[in-house]
Amino acid sequence: MKKTLGMIMRHLFLAVLALIWLIPVVWLFVTSLSAYKGINTMHFFPTKWSMDNYAQLFFRPDTVANFPAWFKNSMLIGVFSCMISTIFVLMVAYAMSCMRFQGRKALMSFAIILGMFPGVLSMIAIYFVMKLIGLSNSLTGLVVIYSAGSGLGYLICKGFFDTIPASLRESAKLEGASELTIFTKIVIPLSKPIIVYTVINSFLSPWMDFVMAKLMIRSKDPADWTVAMGLFNLVQRTLVGNYFSVFCAGGIIVAIPISVLFVIMQRFYVEGITGGAVKG
Amino acid sequence: MKKKIVSLILVSAVMTSMLCGCGSTDTPATEEVSQTETTQQETQETQETGSTDAIANLIAATEGPVDLTVWCSETEAYQKAVAELVEDFKAEYSDVEFNITIGAESEANCKDDVLADVEAAADLFVFPDDQLLELVNAGALQSVDATFTYDPHKTNAGTTVEAASVDGTLYAYPLTASNGYFLFYDKNALTEEDVSSWDNLLAAAEEQGKTVGMEVSGAWYLYGFFAGAGLDMYLGDDGKNICNWNAEDTKYAGADVAEAITEICKNPAMVNCVNEDAQAFALNGEMIADVNGTWATNAFEEAYGDGYAAVKLPTFSVNGEQVQMGSFAGYKFVGVNAYSDNTGWAMLLAEFLTNETSQTKIGVATGEGPANTVAASSAEIASAPALAALAEQAEYADLQRVGDNYWSPAATLGEALVEGNYTDAQTLLDEAVEGITQ
Amino acid sequence: MKKFLNAAKNYFVDFGKAVIHGNLWTKSSLVVMGAGFWGCGQYIKGILVTAMEILFFAVTFGFSLEYIRKLGTLGTVQREETLDLTTLTKTVNDYDNSLLILLCGIIGILFLVIFVLFYISNMKRVYALELEKKADRHINTFREDLRELINGKFHITLLTLPSLGVFLINIIPILFMICIAFTNYDMDHQPPTYLFTWVGLENFKMLVTSTTTVTFGYVFIRILLWTLLWAFLATFSTYFGGILLAKFINDKKTKWKKLWRTLFVITIAIPQFITLLLVGKMFGDYGIINSLYNKAGITSFLQDIGLVSKGLSYIPFLSKPGWAHVMVVLINIWVGVPFQMLSATGILMNIPEEQMESAKIDGASEAQIFWKITMPYMLFVTGPSLITAFIANINNFNVIYLLTSDYVTSNMKFANSNAKEMDLLITWLFTLTNDYSNYKMASVIGICVFVICAVCTLISFSRMIAGNREEELQ
Repeated sequence: MKKTLGMIMRHLFLAVLALIWLIPVVWLFVTSLSAYKGINTMHFFPTKWSMDNYAQLFFRPDTVANFPAWFKNSMLIGVFSCMISTIFVLMVAYAMSCMRFQGRKALMSFAIILGMFPGVLSMIAIYFVMKLIGLSNSLTGLVVIYSAGSGLGYLICKGFFDTIPASLRESAKLEGASELTIFTKIVIPLSKPIIVYTVINSFLSPWMDFVMAKLMIRSKDPADWTVAMGLFNLVQRTLVGNYFSVFCAGGIIVAIPISVLFVIMQRFYVEGITGGAVKG
Repeated sequence: MKKKIVSLILVSAVMTSMLCGCGSTDTPATEEVSQTETTQQETQETQETGSTDAIANLIAATEGPVDLTVWCSETEAYQKAVAELVEDFKAEYSDVEFNITIGAESEANCKDDVLADVEAAADLFVFPDDQLLELVNAGALQSVDATFTYDPHKTNAGTTVEAASVDGTLYAYPLTASNGYFLFYDKNALTEEDVSSWDNLLAAAEEQGKTVGMEVSGAWYLYGFFAGAGLDMYLGDDGKNICNWNAEDTKYAGADVAEAITEICKNPAMVNCVNEDAQAFALNGEMIADVNGTWATNAFEEAYGDGYAAVKLPTFSVNGEQVQMGSFAGYKFVGVNAYSDNTGWAMLLAEFLTNETSQTKIGVATGEGPANTVAASSAEIASAPALAALAEQAEYADLQRVGDNYWSPAATLGEALVEGNYTDAQTLLDEAVEGITQ
Repeated sequence: MKKFLNAAKNYFVDFGKAVIHGNLWTKSSLVVMGAGFWGCGQYIKGILVTAMEILFFAVTFGFSLEYIRKLGTLGTVQREETLDLTTLTKTVNDYDNSLLILLCGIIGILFLVIFVLFYISNMKRVYALELEKKADRHINTFREDLRELINGKFHITLLTLPSLGVFLINIIPILFMICIAFTNYDMDHQPPTYLFTWVGLENFKMLVTSTTTVTFGYVFIRILLWTLLWAFLATFSTYFGGILLAKFINDKKTKWKKLWRTLFVITIAIPQFITLLLVGKMFGDYGIINSLYNKAGITSFLQDIGLVSKGLSYIPFLSKPGWAHVMVVLINIWVGVPFQMLSATGILMNIPEEQMESAKIDGASEAQIFWKITMPYMLFVTGPSLITAFIANINNFNVIYLLTSDYVTSNMKFANSNAKEMDLLITWLFTLTNDYSNYKMASVIGICVFVICAVCTLISFSRMIAGNREEELQ
């Protein structure tokens, strides 16, 4: 008897928690289906339902919202910066984990400390550096910004590489394999989880960042913006009254590629975060 | 060692690309230095003599397409109206080929975006008058040394031109003169008598269980109370604010005004809320009057339907006397970027966008009141209730000449007055004035 | 330290030796850097090295020298423009841009330093080559050199591009911003129109000054304390929250584990900035939560017990100190717990079963097992990520900025420094740069953030890196 009561309490508790966690998501979803464009402050559910926000998002780009273009831009940036970042992270992690060279430890500490510097502050300097190279106000510039410094985030990946037995590499070396071969033929195939983890993280960051993007993309033509920039702009004071539901619809659409990515890669993702340390 | 070579090649590759990049950004408009004095004289001459020569010269000297960028408000109405005007402009100067891009820029952020990198900002941008000083301070605005198609000094009211000038130099082309605030109300719920004073207004609203809105904690709106009571707050010559809101020897002491504001906010019918909330409340039918500006016209029109009306700000009572609220008179200007590559054309386009016909078109499209006095008095515009209310309020409105240190302390003061949890109004005001005048 | 000095000494001594004892080829490498290689038959390499040298001089004399020369003053010629009203064309003088001078100056100096290091090691390398040739040892062909690059010296190949990126995106901007802290770059000195210049430690003095009008000192200490408190609360609340939730769901007694987990994970799918903006609107002064609470009478109840000021008709979730401080921590829990739960789940599944079993046989209670076995194991595994999370929270721009953008401070001292109680150092410096163009103070604050973070990390990470953990693992 006591046991069943405990069971009920336990699941009730979880249900309440889950409800708290889901309320904003549900609100986002139902608001995206609202016929009223502004923020509904009186009722949780819309009084009139409509799919119009999605239609507006996809088929009626106007002077402030051009979702198809945003989506395309973010996708391009996401794919390219994710490729470059992943390669960079793997390269640095391999060098730091599997090779022994002079100044390695100093370099590792230096890289970690460098990563401490508040990015928000160096933004304006990064902008002018990019302007100097002629890459400001372009998607290429954003790709460079999101991926060029990614080598500094090698730590988790290195932790994973550390767990790959050194004996594997030693024996390959005895058979005459070069470091390049070991890297591409032995270490990388063994690192699927951490690669997935890095891929997800670096693919997502361009979808989330609006501060840097806003500074870099000087163009005021909505077709040149990214999803994060554009959606952020929609909830600014002058627009929120007419675009809040559209913003919500945008939020739901953006969640789709991310969810798909997660569902496919969830297993590896968890292994990626934890795998490195656990296997040791 | 050998490997270092590889890295160095890469370094140098990057450096070379930097070099190339630098070359292009570093050398814009390296036309050689010329003497300032001679041009000074020319300024006066051209202003008197036939200015069409200059345009002819410019057209003759222009080769290839002229690239211009215009930033203006992101609202659909604005973008459309400006796009049409740009087409008219191209038709007017059909000898020249233009590539004119119109960007959607929230006016409130215009200053921040322009100042982040002036060189990459638009050639022309529309901005509200409170950003003028900072833009001028940063050297971002091309001064209007001469005009060629009309004279802003003649077509605008004196105060408008003054608002667009710093130390007697005109820095921008006045576009609208309706950026001030007044009272929207629902005439089905409130009588003209009700909206004449805060006391009546709040009493009437409370009786009906409805609300009245104003962003009292907003520094821009808060000014109206103190200014109405005859207290001063303006930018001095040394770049610091001059403010006597804590004065005790004026007709109405600052502390009395402060307490009057708190009294208003204590009324349950009074809601201290920002524009977006007020619009939502009005649409819900809860709010029957709100202190707001022309940007909210459409929302209130929709909310109040045939009861839609607007009027000057109400009076409020200080020490038992009714005092008319003051306000800031607000303008929107078209500024020409001092770093524009095509200054001449940018100036001409700015002139075109702000001439009488263009202002009328923009006014009709957006509901904002033109700065041009003739355009403003035209029938189709002057009949709009919001603009009529603004005209009524104009008598009590002041030019917005405010240093940057005003905003945060004044907002904080407003917040404290709304809450009413201070012990001594005088100390509160003393602190605020200290912050404002620092 | 001594070791480092010795190494530095040897570095230059070796260079001296090479210059003095080297043969003609080696000596002429002082001028034409590739000469030494040509002397030993490494022609291609010699050409490459010489090309580098030429490139360096071209860059320095063609571009950076001009900026390096002006670094001392950061420019003296202010912009002057004249508009010719008869032709409507504009002439501008050849003005200095302080910002460009500083930036290009830094790049030029970095380039110079790199070249000097390259130059010295080139001499040493050439000398070593000469000795090798004398001893009749095998000298690598160019092909062999290249082959080395994917083998013994593979790390150079690997690290080159990432380091270049780091130089571009991290090192140059950081050096630049550190320099700004010693200049007067603010609203009154904005390039390109106006010049700014060096002012020494003036800005640092300003940061600790606290008078009635200059309140940076007062505000700084308060924001610093809140930043640290926030980082602590945010890190540990999500950390323990995540572990507890994971444990709760993974418990044998819980049914439909997958369902529960999915329900929480759904929230991750929506980008953080969207949920934050949304939640911010929900908890706004006139947002939906407030209007529902108002209807339910919770607002007036809270007023009666004194938690909400009588002057307000709403609960100031995100608009008054105290309330807002608690709310941002709670909302952060909402945002962060699903992530933590996901990773904790993975770790919990990997806890060695034997330990748990034997503890149970010994009669340990659930709580004992959790604190004695589970937690230490978790801490061991997630220690590094905990520190990273702490640092990330110190710099947690999004949560604070997106949730409290409508917050108006009612403390005049905060207002006078353009800050508000809710600000972290990072959001404060953003406001200073973005809204007030006060780059000099923002840089000073940025340096403080940097120092705090670096100290935290150094203490914790030096152990992890210094220890031989990686060797043990492998």
